[in-house]
Amino acid sequence: MSSRGSTSSPGRPRQGQILPGFGLTMGYTVSYLSLIVLIPLAAAFLSAGRLPLGQWLHVLLAPRVLASFRLSITASLCAALINAVSGLLIAWVLTRYEFPGRRLLDALVDLPFALPTAVAGIALTTLYAPNGWLGRLLAPLGIQVAFTPLGVIVALTFIGLPFVVRTLQPVLADLDEDLERAAETLGAGPLMVFRTVIFPALLPALITGSALAFSRALGEYGSVIFIAGNIPLVSEVVPLVIMTKLEQFQYAEAAVVAVAMLLLSFAMMFVINAVQLALQRRYQARR
Amino acid sequence: MSITIDQVSKLYHGVPVVNDVTLEIHTGEFFVLLGPSGSGKSTLLRALAGLSHIDHGRIALHGRDVTELPARERGVGLVFQHYALFRHMTVADNIEFALRVRRMGAAERRRRRQELLKYVDLAGYDDRYPSQLSGGQQQRVAVARALAHEPAVLLLDEPFGALDAKIRVELRETVRAVQRRLGMTTILVTHDQEEAFALADRIGVMQMGRLLELGSPEELYRHPATRFVARFLGAANMFLGEVSAQGLQLGSATVAPLRAAPQASSATEVILVVRPEDVEVAPAGIEPYGRSFAAGVVRALTFAGHQQHVSVQLDERSGVEPAVGDSQDGGAIMSVAAVRSAAEQSAAPLQVGAHVKLGARRVHALPTPISSFHLMASDAAVADALAASPLLSQLVRSMQARVIRHEDRGEQPERLAAGICVLRLDAGTPAAIVAATAQGARRLLCIPPGAPLPGRMLIPAGEAARRSDLLALLSSVMRHLPVEATAVTLQRAEAGRSEVIDAQRAIVDARADLRGAHGLDLRGDRFVGDLRAWLSEVAVQPDPALVVLGLPNDPAEIAASLSGDLAPLFAAGARTPVLLAINAAS
Repeated sequence: MSSRGSTSSPGRPRQGQILPGFGLTMGYTVSYLSLIVLIPLAAAFLSAGRLPLGQWLHVLLAPRVLASFRLSITASLCAALINAVSGLLIAWVLTRYEFPGRRLLDALVDLPFALPTAVAGIALTTLYAPNGWLGRLLAPLGIQVAFTPLGVIVALTFIGLPFVVRTLQPVLADLDEDLERAAETLGAGPLMVFRTVIFPALLPALITGSALAFSRALGEYGSVIFIAGNIPLVSEVVPLVIMTKLEQFQYAEAAVVAVAMLLLSFAMMFVINAVQLALQRRYQARR
Repeated sequence: MSITIDQVSKLYHGVPVVNDVTLEIHTGEFFVLLGPSGSGKSTLLRALAGLSHIDHGRIALHGRDVTELPARERGVGLVFQHYALFRHMTVADNIEFALRVRRMGAAERRRRRQELLKYVDLAGYDDRYPSQLSGGQQQRVAVARALAHEPAVLLLDEPFGALDAKIRVELRETVRAVQRRLGMTTILVTHDQEEAFALADRIGVMQMGRLLELGSPEELYRHPATRFVARFLGAANMFLGEVSAQGLQLGSATVAPLRAAPQASSATEVILVVRPEDVEVAPAGIEPYGRSFAAGVVRALTFAGHQQHVSVQLDERSGVEPAVGDSQDGGAIMSVAAVRSAAEQSAAPLQVGAHVKLGARRVHALPTPISSFHLMASDAAVADALAASPLLSQLVRSMQARVIRHEDRGEQPERLAAGICVLRLDAGTPAAIVAATAQGARRLLCIPPGAPLPGRMLIPAGEAARRSDLLALLSSVMRHLPVEATAVTLQRAEAGRSEVIDAQRAIVDARADLRGAHGLDLRGDRFVGDLRAWLSEVAVQPDPALVVLGLPNDPAEIAASLSGDLAPLFAAGARTPVLLAINAAS
């Protein structure tokens, strides 16, 4: 490697970098990440390892655990899809239009982030309970939200929204409006402009945002347990199953479920990153 | 006509950013809209493309009125400064976009795309993504894309602005070659005069929403009509000279014979433009080829490759006055810029500090009737207030005109006759106008204390509006105020049919005269009542307008007119600035 190379030889500041201190900062970074992220994760594997592998399958294939996985994944997926659509719409309105109260509306989007999840859970439950404001209106139609999988989806949609909106907003703001003008002068109608010009440009961010919302939904506990009702085999999510096992002092079994979830999340992240990379290669290529 | 733009205006927060632009562009012409940023040129281009809505006027492409059509139905090709390529599509898909919209077959699309890529020298780049191309290459793709659907006109919005100087010149040549080959009617928007010269068949210079001047690059460079265009198209020395029976006078020398008869019988002040390359610098002992108009000292020499830039400071007694800037500081030191070719340099080398004589090879007199503003005020405070008024400061700034104070100077009747006298408008103004005209003033601008910038200009249509000197004055002011101008016909309430038709005709005539002579356009309006009634209404409007009026050429009649029809303008509560011009002797 040439001594003047702009690409990195370890520890040499990248070109244009003024502040020194690679050793110190790198050391801090590694120990911090180990302490906060890696060691706890390793601990989960360790405690799961106390059960023999044969027992693992037994634990995971138990009907209650299996049902909770099914619910967590489908509900999170539904919530992510709902958020992809509505989040795109909200981000569009917030970035493209100027109207009174825009900033207030913009701040409201962060509420699911900021609100303690338990508060959200209680609020949603009172709202959707059969005698709540919305539940009362839905009950005559035969729709019950609270204490059903539907309630789980509602709660997960609620907490996932900001992820989609906040990932899309900067991309939308950066989107050159001349692109739409160009497409229009070339003869494209509004729908076609959206389909061929705007949507493809937003797609990477939309996928990232939805994936973030999905991951968050998968692990959500606080807001779900109130509205879900936690009926075994019907409305129990995975985090709740882990919690239940812990309360019953089945530490090893809890760890096995946790590790399964961890691996699932890793797999998700991996797939999303791969998709991202592929899209980026196609659209942005090298600069 | 390929493109017809008829009285197009676009307002932004009530201020016209495109102001009554009327323009016709021929088939196959390469037309350049040139102007500083914020002059309205891009807005006009986007209005042509259908991307921005216009508030007034019509636009026709090849005889088809497209004013109400959305952009996608106008059939124009538009190229943007930052390319605006679809980044997730290959070069091929970008170019074929318009063809796919039109559901053209794949084979035909490919044929067309490959032909276009050949035109822009990018054959074989079909499968690249925009991010794999350089800026210049991306813009070539954008040009090909804009031409794919065989548009009626090609519109280029500062297409070379984001590119390096060298790439810019290459791409410029490509664009010109493609345009010639296809015979495509093209409008290019730019702020770069060099680019305009290199490409244009005709140039339209825009400033403050107005189309200031129109002509071939050479016409505009050699014979500009305004100070702004003279400066914007290249370096220019501007002097205050005189038109007399002998010719154009600069200082004490006659620098050029008269090309046309002067408008006034007496000598008139004019602004003379001499390009640096037309200034001849003759070292002591050598007489310049043309008549020497001044002597001076070389202050600076700058090497510029094939040329040499010379800055000469004029002797104080040379008698030459600058045409721009404030002459407050009395004998302002004036310097003249000159450019010498390599041949001249070797024939007669110069040193800094050398005494030289200056000659002018070519002199152009601006046709503007306004050379300077004369503040006529009883005391300094009033003069300061006048100078600071939004109307006068806007005019002075955009005209680059001189302001001369008269409170402490001896009167110079011949000077007053040439410039515009500025007075404060109050009850005493009629008397001041009579006094000023007695001293020789022929054009007067009366500004009420505290008046804001007028929102529009009004001129009564009819015989007065057809006078060439009044129209010249009107057009000079119109070019330098970002407001709409309206010709108003005055009708009696019981007017008969023929009288109404005459009144309408008066507006049409005024518009035609102004367009013919100055390339500017007017709005039309109607008022039922006589001049006095109209002025009484106009004078007290909450949003003041600038009223332009003619005055009779006789002291007694002026006084009668001021206390008669024009009296409402000077009554208590009147707040309208007025521009008055005395009829040229006929």
